[in-house]
This record gives sequence, C-alpha cells and structure tokens, in this order.
Amino acid sequence: MKFSISREALIKPLNLVAGVVERRQTLPILSNVLLNLEGTQLSLTGTDLEVELIGRVEVEAGGVDGDITVPARKLVDICKSLPDSSQIEFSVDSGKAMVKAGRGRFTLSTLPATEFPSVDESAGDQTLEVAQSVVKRLIDRTAFAMAQQDVRYYLNGMLLELKAGRLRMVATDGHRLALCTANEAVSTGDAAIIIPRKGVLELSRLLDTDESIRLVIGSNHIRAANQQFTFTSKLVDGKFPEYERVLPKSADKTVIGQRLELRQAFTRTAILSNEKYRGVRLKLSADTLDITANNPEQEQAEEVVAVEYQGEELEVGFNVSYLLDVLSVLDGDQIRLSLSDSASSALLEEADEGDSLYVVMPMRL
Amino acid sequence: MSTLRKIIHIDADCFYAAIEMRDDPSLIDRPFAVGGSAEGRGVLTTCNYPAREFGVHSAMPTSQAYRLCPDLVVAPVNIPKYREVSVQMHEIFEQFTDVIEPLSLDEAYLDVSDSTLFDGSASRIAEAIREQIKTEINITVSAGVSINKFLAKVASDWNKPDGQKVVTPDEVDAFTAALEVRAIPGVGPVTAEKLKRMGFQKCTDLRNAEARVLKRRFGSFAQTLIERAHGRDNRPVNTSRIRKSLSVEHTYTQDLKNGQPCFDKLPGLLDELRGRIDKGKLAPRIQKAYVKIKFSDFSTTTVERVGTAATLTDYQELLADGLARRDLPVRLLGLGVRLSPDFPEHFEQLPLRMEHDDY
Repeated sequence: MKFSISREALIKPLNLVAGVVERRQTLPILSNVLLNLEGTQLSLTGTDLEVELIGRVEVEAGGVDGDITVPARKLVDICKSLPDSSQIEFSVDSGKAMVKAGRGRFTLSTLPATEFPSVDESAGDQTLEVAQSVVKRLIDRTAFAMAQQDVRYYLNGMLLELKAGRLRMVATDGHRLALCTANEAVSTGDAAIIIPRKGVLELSRLLDTDESIRLVIGSNHIRAANQQFTFTSKLVDGKFPEYERVLPKSADKTVIGQRLELRQAFTRTAILSNEKYRGVRLKLSADTLDITANNPEQEQAEEVVAVEYQGEELEVGFNVSYLLDVLSVLDGDQIRLSLSDSASSALLEEADEGDSLYVVMPMRL
Repeated sequence: MSTLRKIIHIDADCFYAAIEMRDDPSLIDRPFAVGGSAEGRGVLTTCNYPAREFGVHSAMPTSQAYRLCPDLVVAPVNIPKYREVSVQMHEIFEQFTDVIEPLSLDEAYLDVSDSTLFDGSASRIAEAIREQIKTEINITVSAGVSINKFLAKVASDWNKPDGQKVVTPDEVDAFTAALEVRAIPGVGPVTAEKLKRMGFQKCTDLRNAEARVLKRRFGSFAQTLIERAHGRDNRPVNTSRIRKSLSVEHTYTQDLKNGQPCFDKLPGLLDELRGRIDKGKLAPRIQKAYVKIKFSDFSTTTVERVGTAATLTDYQELLADGLARRDLPVRLLGLGVRLSPDFPEHFEQLPLRMEHDDY
C-alpha cells in the first residue's frame, strides 16, 4: 500500500475520524485508524464499536491499493506538526508504516486491517435526504439537555422522531427537556430512535454545510452519509419517555421578556448563587421580574428586569444553569416563559413562532 | 455618614465574677475573683466590687492580690460556662437588632439605627436589653448609647455597674471636649504621657493641636486622635456572625389564660417574625420552627419542629403541644425559627414527571 497526499487534504478527514477513537481502549486495535486505498480514493475509519466514522479523500494518482491500521493519535499528531503544504508520502513495508514528509521520516507500528472491527448493521428501514443544516440545528438546539451517565440509560442520548413527515429531536436529563422540530417536511414513514450521546456529539461535528445528507435508520443503527463521510452509530435500546406528557398544559402565567437582557441578568446573579445547587429565586409581579441569588458566604445578588407580565404574584426557584442553557440556544429578541406555580414545570420558547420548546422543572427553595 | 446612627455598647459588669456569684450567692458580699491560682503564677481575670475595695484589680497576679486581701476567694476560670451565658446574651440582642458586633464574650456593639422598637428610642432599647438580661440571665450589664462606637463605648463605662449613659447628638461636642485623652481607645499610659507632655490632657486640647505635629509624632494614629477628639467615629458595626436563629417574643402585662387567648396572639407575633425573616432574606435557611412559653411560675418550655416553612399552622400545633405541658397561665410567648448555616437540602431540584417514574 502506498499513496501521496497533501497535509491539508489528509488532516481534515483524519481529525474527524480520530475524534471517534477513544483515548483509552480495551482492544489495542480500537486506538488505530483504518486506512484503505482503492484507486485514488482513500478511506479512513475510526470506531469505538458504538460509533463508526469513515472519511473519504482523493489522493494523487499512482498509488498502490491496500489497507492497514496505524495508531490514530500518533498519525494525527505527526500530520498536525508538519509545516503547511507539506506533501505526505505513506507506504507500508514488512509490517511497518512509513510516513515521509520533507526530510522527516516516521515509522509507525501497524495491525492488519482484517482485525479491524466493523459496526454490525441491520437493514435500513427508513431513508431520507435532508439538509445538513437542518440536522445540525436540531442537535444544537437540544443536545445540551441530554443526560450524562444517568442510570436511566435511555436518557443518555437523544430521541430522533419521524412522525407524519415531521423530523423532531428531543433530549431530557429528567430535570429539563429540550425539543426542536424541523420546519421542512420529510417524506418517510414513522420512526423513533435514541442516538447515544457520543453519536450525537460526533454527528454534530460533521455537519457544517447546507448540502444534503442521507440518513438511513435501521432497527439498531443510524447512518448519515455523503460523499465525504459515512457516519454510523448504534442506537440506545430503550424507550424514551413520552415527552408530550411532560409539556406543561396548565401554565396560565405568561411572561414575555427581552432574551439578551434576561440572559445577562441571570449570568450576573448566577455569580452569587450557591456553586453546587445554582439556585436562583424569581419573583414575578406586575411587569417586573425580580431575580435574587444567595450563597453560603451570605453574599447576595439581585436584578430587577422589566418584563410583560400581568398575572398574580409568583415566586419560584430554578437552577440558573438550566435557564442560561436555554437562553443561550434561543434566538430572537423576545422569549416567552409560561408558568403555573412554584412546583410545576415551566415552558420557555421564542415569543414569535419558534421551532423549539424547553421545559424546566423548578427548584424548591 | 449623613444620617445619624444609633449605637449601643453593652458591657457586662465583672462578667466572669458575676456568673460565679450568680451560681454561688455566698460569694456576693465577700471579696471574690476569677483567675489562675497563686501557685501557678496565675493572674486575675475579673474581680467583684468588694475585692476592688482592697485595691485588687483584673490582670493582677493572684499572689499579689492575696497580699492585698488575704480573705480573697479565687475561683478558676470556666470559659465554657461563660460562653454559654454569652450566647444567651447574644440571643437577647438578636431580638432587638440584626446588626451586632461581638467584641468579646461580654461586650458587643449594636446598631439600632433602623429599629422601630420603642419608637426608635435607642435609650429605651438599651434599657429593655439590660432589663431582659437581668431577669433572664441574672447578671447585670451596663450600656452606652450614642451616635458612634467610640462614644457608646466611653459612655458604657460612665454609670457602671448596672447603669447606662446616653450621649445625645447635642451633647456630643461638650461631652467629648471634657474627656481625658486617655479615654480614646488606643491611648495607653505611654501615649497619654507623651500627649500630656505636649500639652494635650483633654480632648479639647487635642482639637487645637496642629495635625502636622501630631502626624510627625504619632504617624497614622494622629488622624484617629483628631477624629475622636471631635467625637467622630465612622467605623460601622461589623456583623460577621452567621445567624443561627431568629425569634420574637412578648411578655404580657397580664398573664394570658392557658388556651384560646394564647392562640389569639399568634398571628401578630408571626407577622412580626415574618417581617424580620423577609428583611434578612432568611426564608431559604429555615430549618425548624419553635415556640417558647414562659408560664406564670417562670418555668419555661420550648417546642420545636423540623422540616417546616414556619406557617401559622405549624405554630398553632407547636403552641398546643407546649400549652399542654403545664396547666398554668402564660406570662411570655415567643415564636422563632432555627436557621441552617448553609442552604443544604433546601435547594431541591424537582424532577420532570415522566411516565417512567410513575410506577
């Protein structure tokens, strides 16, 4: 196996693929990247057995086909450290991989490509073409609410739901929930899958254009593919909570406020909130929101923000980080906060027609 | 500081000795002191007034005190006991103001500028504090009342023991002018002697001093000297202590019948307590609610409850429990809350109600 490629051409797919590779592996080969050359097309594959990513790039003609695996991290570090516009010569000879660039020569250990595991795939049930930017928006607007290492394993991921031609993603950690629905209709059957946390974050890194991507949804995997890459993730085998039941229905108290002003006020009060619990107290009265925070050092922050509010007075506590997460992903000038009482969930959304809904449970103060 | 402050300095009279005499009244009329033993080369920390007549004073080596007064009774120092009394005193202070700066076990500054008690009369607040300490703890304290810490402290010494002195804003100028420079905290025998040699014996002399001259001689202390000589002191009363409880109580001029008349008093007391909780923004720290009842025979009982928001219902139930303990009329009723130093479980993140959690 032998090929020649510019540093810049190699580094982009190599970086993406290496991102999937976990630093600490039980199987030595999982810290390697698989290189496969067919004609002028070089494929690079990284996997952690849950998520697999194949990146593709054209090399200069005149190579020799073949496949091999080499340590991913080391190859990335070597390529990154080379000067701009370096030309990289890669070859394999008697079980060793050789990387040559300028006057540098690096000999890397290898493991045979036949030992490289591939993610088992079931047959695809649903296929749809959708703009990358659409998927990216769904993830960006909801991923922050995914649980991390929760015993309720089905929360450590994101629900992707296809229903009546509508694509939606939902994430929740049991205290708050984020939901975003794509505006564009898709023509496909219904499906509901849970993409694991890592798969969501890796997929999000891949999506950076308006070009379309093909999503293939199987019974135990999802694949996203275009010319440059093929991303495959296993799915979380479990039942996602019925999120619609979590959406507040009796939230009769509505607050409209300036998003940036609120975000800044919360950011400032958060400084003097309890570092562990992050609680802030919201006091609503006619057209006024009073935000206060205390910490164990007896320090106190108070911000008074003008809002549109005509309901009865209400005092309610929240984890300020949850509120800030939402205010950071929303855009638009104004947001709407709907509440019923100090022990029931609150709904946050853009004041004008938005595609996203956020539910946050209060804190008992 | 534009508005006039109202500062009270409270200073217990022969604190350690007073507590020992309270616990052993036979000591009252004899020369008595608290301190280390003569063998251990100890010194006296406090002595009562009969002992003082012999020339015995605090900080005097015990052996020397025995020479002056062979009949002197010396008790060992029992700090844990004094600390307990100090806490009781502090609890009384807290019923009058939140702004308390303890100086030692038996001394504290109180800022009552914002108090509405006794029509805002600091003098009457000081009287009430002294009275309450006398009846509840059975020791006497002296109080100084004025517009700043310096004058309050000087005044508390004026009518000692068991007395108080008010220096009103109008009196400040004349009062200070007549003070010996020695009265200014920080001026010890050496500094006083230096000042005397420079011709400054009283504060009024200091007022005419050239700042330059004082500065050269006393450095940064000169500024303080001049300020005090004019009766000025802008230092705030520093409260660093974290409040552990908050209470309001009322002694009734006529004992209340054990029963409904007591319950009738609850809403008013609770309103007052709530007001003080809100003012201190202490609601998140409430751990317990309690009711204190003093019966006509002066016996006292306290009923507490954890995990409460200190509502009227809580207090009604606590009061019912407390009243049932004695079949006597009630002299005093108090409502209080105990506070956690931190905000532990009070920040409880509620979960979303998802169907997975339902079963």
